[in-house]
Amino acid sequence: MNGHSMLRETLRRLSRNPLAVAGAAVVLFFCVLALFPWLVSSHDPNRIDILKILEPPSGAHPLGTDDLGRDVLARMLHGARISLSVGFVAESIAIGIGLVIGLLAGYYGGKVDSLLMRFVDIMLCFPTFFLILAVIAFIGPSIWNIMFIIGVTGWMGVARLVRAETLSLKERDFVAAARAQGAGTARILFRHILPNTLAPILVAATLGVAGAILVESGLSFLGIGVQPPTPSWGNILTAGKDNIEFAWWLSLFPGLAIFLTVLGYNLLGEGIRDAVDPRLKGR
Amino acid sequence: MKTKSRPRRRAAAPRILPALFALLLFALAAPLLPGCGGRGDAPGTGDASPGVPAHGDAIVEGSIGDVSGFLTAVTTDSASHGAAAYVFNGLVRYDKDLKLEGDLAESWDISPDGKKITFHLRKNVKWHDGAPFTSEDVLFTYRKMIDPKTPTAYGEDFRQVRRAHAPDPHTFVAEYDRPFAPALASWGMHILPKHLLEGHPDISKSPLNKKPVGTGPYRFAEWKTGEKTVFDAYADYHEGKPYIARVVTRVIPDLATMFLELKSGGLDLMNLTPLQRTRQTETKQFRKSFNKYQYLSSGYTYLGFRLSHPYFKEKKVRQAIAYAVNKKEIIEGVLFGLGQEATGPFKPGTWPYNPDVKRYPHDPAKAKELLAEAGWKPGGRDGVLVKDGRRFEFTLLTNAGNESRAKTAAILQQNLAAVGIKMEIRTLEWAAFINEFVKKRKFDALILGWSITPDPDQYDIWHSSKTGPDELNHVGYANPEVDRLLEEGRRTFDIEGRKKAYSRIQEILAEEQPLVFLYYPDALPAVHKRIRGIVPAPAGISYNFIQWYVPKGEQRYTTFQQ
Repeated sequence: MNGHSMLRETLRRLSRNPLAVAGAAVVLFFCVLALFPWLVSSHDPNRIDILKILEPPSGAHPLGTDDLGRDVLARMLHGARISLSVGFVAESIAIGIGLVIGLLAGYYGGKVDSLLMRFVDIMLCFPTFFLILAVIAFIGPSIWNIMFIIGVTGWMGVARLVRAETLSLKERDFVAAARAQGAGTARILFRHILPNTLAPILVAATLGVAGAILVESGLSFLGIGVQPPTPSWGNILTAGKDNIEFAWWLSLFPGLAIFLTVLGYNLLGEGIRDAVDPRLKGR
Repeated sequence: MKTKSRPRRRAAAPRILPALFALLLFALAAPLLPGCGGRGDAPGTGDASPGVPAHGDAIVEGSIGDVSGFLTAVTTDSASHGAAAYVFNGLVRYDKDLKLEGDLAESWDISPDGKKITFHLRKNVKWHDGAPFTSEDVLFTYRKMIDPKTPTAYGEDFRQVRRAHAPDPHTFVAEYDRPFAPALASWGMHILPKHLLEGHPDISKSPLNKKPVGTGPYRFAEWKTGEKTVFDAYADYHEGKPYIARVVTRVIPDLATMFLELKSGGLDLMNLTPLQRTRQTETKQFRKSFNKYQYLSSGYTYLGFRLSHPYFKEKKVRQAIAYAVNKKEIIEGVLFGLGQEATGPFKPGTWPYNPDVKRYPHDPAKAKELLAEAGWKPGGRDGVLVKDGRRFEFTLLTNAGNESRAKTAAILQQNLAAVGIKMEIRTLEWAAFINEFVKKRKFDALILGWSITPDPDQYDIWHSSKTGPDELNHVGYANPEVDRLLEEGRRTFDIEGRKKAYSRIQEILAEEQPLVFLYYPDALPAVHKRIRGIVPAPAGISYNFIQWYVPKGEQRYTTFQQ
């Protein structure tokens, strides 16, 4: 089976899974909104209007206004951009680190493997969220720092996955063949082994983005993530919490957005997992 | 109660007893410090009968900040000063009309030349551990205040004293080289127990700073760090045992949570935010359980600059920012109109206040003009002004947990963007903000508040000699004329003379804008209806706390674990 038909086969299985399709639709929906916010709202997300503080949803402001009279819909849309890109970038960093460490550990084995895997164990011992809180307190909150710190604390799962795959792949005939042809280590790792680990990585990445979005929202909610006035779903929710008794729209919509996005990624991730490896289904 | 016009950093806390003598930085918009001018709502609807004063019951109050220590000589935040006010007394204090009256001193004589004050101390006062209070304690406190080993921000007043002595156990004499107008008020400093502090060179490290023993209406019972402080009524208090048997201050670092606690009965008293007050208390249920009060608080919120910063060194830039800021929008949007535009560091309606100073109405065009005169020209990316290749960008710091300040910052950001200045906002936890950034002068600009004390002497905030790390002139303001006027203002007892000096200071500050004075917020306390005896006055509501009571039948907390 060549790569092309395998992809087609995977997509075919994926499309037969209604939950996965729903998940993909949700993810796609939010991505489109994040990329083209002006399709939906022409309001400036940072435009303060003190005459319209905490207005309930109406024609002019479909999702109401916040505690400074800013349009919640516009803030949600721009917040989607922030939240989703934090998710993507953070997870990319995590995948990058996890991949390299996993490949090295799996391929070289022995001491290198023990050393790297013990390091993974150490990293897993930290309660991640508190580690992030501590580091943010030290380096200061900003979007870039958040992406970075979520990335460098979230790669251990990927590293283990890749290592396990690499361990079995490196014994396979095509690796031996490549080596016999005189391919260097880097070429073997990145041209022969890496492409074959992509399926589990894709699954981990999809689920990981959901996790990263949740962490970002949590940090922003606590006031140490994305700094106001830059909107993110988490910090819109903070304003919602302060006014929860009479401004339900400030809590409901960002909460719903976070919920749906995370659910969407999770469904999609599990769908992909089932699709690439039907044996795992139901486990 | 502490007496003196010293700068206090008002940290964090709406506390009941006024901490009104020291200038404090404050973390909250409007702490429950006494206010003036009392355009107060009448206390509630008057449906409850006054009942008979009775001992017993407890008051539970909320505070967003924890106490850092109980010895007010070595703390500068309002949470600590508020807590200490239950336990300690000064020689004098302010009454409900903000006039000085005797506290531990029964009376005093001032010599005709104004250089000598003789205090006649009360004779029936005992420390909480039973030891008698004498003039030796006062002398000891004085010595600690001028001791270089005492890390205090309030030593300056006491260094003015040439000689202090205690001719007998109930007389204390302070002599000055020159007349010193804030002298009397400075003796509102909490008096420390000599017998417990002797042998502690640095009182901030003594056990008493954590477990205080004082002469005040309440004795210290418990302090659980980050959770609560508990005080019990002191039966032998020299003005009689307070009615309310126990005061519990719970640390709740979030105002929305605090409000939920108030409504669910977990708290009896808190200072409402303007938003809570305007949008969330007009319910039948709330009105049934709580009385609301409103008065101009003794404090102002400001936008301060580090004056050594290359951009803010220039007066025109600061004036431009003052024009760019829309104070009206801030007062409407953040305070919901519950406050007043600030023009200077004194409180409207009090004698030192000068309303005829230069004002800065919102005028972006004028701001741009001034910035252009200072060399800041358009040309940067996204409309940011540029001078000598540098973009006008800076970071504004303020403390977390204060919604009003966060919103003020957002409005400032928009105001400044409109004239081509890019401002980043960073919020920091209170203690880190003060200790790591303000004290170390690591800021471009900040939003903070100062309390306003009844005595107008603000030497410690504005004098050019007061810029050390533990001192209070953190913007680094220096103006020889202001220095001279500050000196002049404290050297005469003549109120007209003082008024002239402070009026001129306000004119200079308004012209120079070392700070953009933003607003005077209203204090908006809500107190549970079962608590009676509250009489709003110019000093606010808390001056007569020991006379507050709950009638027998309405008492909620009847048994305490001791």
